[in-house]
Amino acid sequence: MKLQQKLVLLTTLSKALMAAVLLLALPWIVETLALRHTDESLRSERQRVMRRIEQTGIESFLTEPYPDQKVHYDLLQDEFIDLRHAVRSQPDTVATLPRQQHGELVDFRVLRHTFQLKGQAYTVEIGKSIASVEDVYALLRSLAAYALAFAVLTTLLIELGVINFLLRPVDQIVERLRAVQGPMPPPLPPLHTSTSDFKYLDATIRRMLQKIRLVFEQEREFIANASHELLTPVSILQNRFENMLQAENLPEEAEQQIVTSQRTLHRLTATLRTLLMISRIENEQYARNDTVAVRQVLREVVDELEDRIADENLTVEWALTGEPTIMAANGSLLFTFFYNLLSNAVKYNHTGGQIRITGQQLTGQPYMVQLFNTGRPIPAEHLPHLFERFRRASNVHTTEGYGLGLALVRTIAQFHAFRLQVASNEQGTTFTIWLPTATLRHGAV
Amino acid sequence: MNVLIVEDDNALAQELALFLQHEHYHCDFARTGAEASEKLYVNEYDFVLLDLGLPDQDGLQLLAEARKQHNLQASIIILSARGSVDDRISGLQLGADDYLPKPYSLMELGSRMQAITRRKHGVTQDTLSFGGFVINLSERSLRHSGAEVVLTRREFDLLHYLLLHRGRVLTRMQLSEHIWGNMISDRDDHDSNFIDVHVKNIRKKLGAFDTRDWVETVRGIGYRFKPTQEV
Repeated sequence: MKLQQKLVLLTTLSKALMAAVLLLALPWIVETLALRHTDESLRSERQRVMRRIEQTGIESFLTEPYPDQKVHYDLLQDEFIDLRHAVRSQPDTVATLPRQQHGELVDFRVLRHTFQLKGQAYTVEIGKSIASVEDVYALLRSLAAYALAFAVLTTLLIELGVINFLLRPVDQIVERLRAVQGPMPPPLPPLHTSTSDFKYLDATIRRMLQKIRLVFEQEREFIANASHELLTPVSILQNRFENMLQAENLPEEAEQQIVTSQRTLHRLTATLRTLLMISRIENEQYARNDTVAVRQVLREVVDELEDRIADENLTVEWALTGEPTIMAANGSLLFTFFYNLLSNAVKYNHTGGQIRITGQQLTGQPYMVQLFNTGRPIPAEHLPHLFERFRRASNVHTTEGYGLGLALVRTIAQFHAFRLQVASNEQGTTFTIWLPTATLRHGAV
Repeated sequence: MNVLIVEDDNALAQELALFLQHEHYHCDFARTGAEASEKLYVNEYDFVLLDLGLPDQDGLQLLAEARKQHNLQASIIILSARGSVDDRISGLQLGADDYLPKPYSLMELGSRMQAITRRKHGVTQDTLSFGGFVINLSERSLRHSGAEVVLTRREFDLLHYLLLHRGRVLTRMQLSEHIWGNMISDRDDHDSNFIDVHVKNIRKKLGAFDTRDWVETVRGIGYRFKPTQEV
């Protein structure tokens, strides 16, 4: 997940958490506030009642028909004042209590106050119906909810905008790094940003890319020089041997020795050329702008090997479905790739054996080519090391290779992002190649 | 014919010259680009054998310069350690007539020089003959008094190469180098042993028309196409 997405997620989650907590706590807060407010107003009501009693005397309240009690409800019966004789004086209380109203019990917030007047204790109760308080609750609650939603949304939007703006250089840096292909990245202009961290990051990345380019160029130069320096003395020896062989009346023994030396020199040349080729591929010194038809290149390779195939009396079976085409490839490298694999299939086969070239596209998988030969099985312990440089399984095959053919195959496979696998059993050996860059030109047959 | 060998390595230049003098070429040497430029300006050469890694300049630069200014008649063959396809293409595009990556076989160089000479003088010399056989290079066919001798691609290449160097001993390695070039793989003696199989087949096919032994085996070394006077 991108940094920006993570920050957006974090902000959204924290806001959601805040909103959830507030929404859960709001009823309680609102209730508490509303009750406190009601209690306050009940207390001030009590003071007004007490002032009235002081001014007009208690008798005007307690009239003849009900000499020990006076209950007064207001017009909407939301509030009442109840005055009566009390047995003894008690401390003031405020509580939510049920009271009879039209034969029903209704909850009221009731303030009870006892006082002494002329030796007689009285209780005054002032009540407010809870229903009227709850109206206030609802109003407060919706007000709070709107305010909360507004606050959460506006801060969220602002934060997202700011995050987006602040992190734009990160996106640009990532985009630039993605665009870097191969070891020769083009020089980049400095990034426009006022954030010093990003400035430093950008400068460091640009410096590193520059360094990579420099090191790569030095390596390439070294390879070119090394190849020249190594191949020139080899050329001298080769030419000298050839000139020596042309001399008349050369003793036969000397001729034989020269030919043997030539063979050794030839081995050295082959090793040198393959090593140079591997390092050149690894340095991406090969262009990749050919479109290669797999069937055609395999056909060319088989044609190239026709004499050896005929000599060993081998049969080649074809079962290639569709017309797989490899995009952005290097044609001559792919020829070498299949040549090495198939020449091995010829070399390690038995006379009258078989080579099978199959290819198919399984759903959701890259195109798969399999090269099978009926050679002697390769022991399981050798299989993982088959593609390593100079790894010779001399006890497996009678003829030793130079130990670089399959290493070259692997290098070319990596260069083209192919996946390579080898399996071997009593029936024979199969090399499987998955070609992720291959497309089927005319669809599978 | 005059040949200018542009090569900074003295020993290599001497070996080249030894072979070319044997082939009746007259050799001149240049060790640096500047020296080569000067010689190309003053003298006329039929061939310039050009090494690309010169101490003072890149051989390709010299090639471009030589092609632009003077010595337009000289055939330039690049002999270089830089043997990749891209290098070859850029060399040939700059006007080189041929490109041989180091190390090359002197025989191979010799036959390429012959081929260039033939082309230059309009002598396509499409046919070569020995005994009653006629080999046609453009058709890639071999006939004996009108009847076709069917050869595989490799057999044809091998016979042609032996014929070009008739009278000379060619080692299996030289023949294999010519047939398979510098194809990169785990090469081994199999390829040079394979030359024996090819020669055996060629003998059998020629023998059906003419019982004389044209290709002589030189024990432990290789093969020689017998000069006509011997057969």
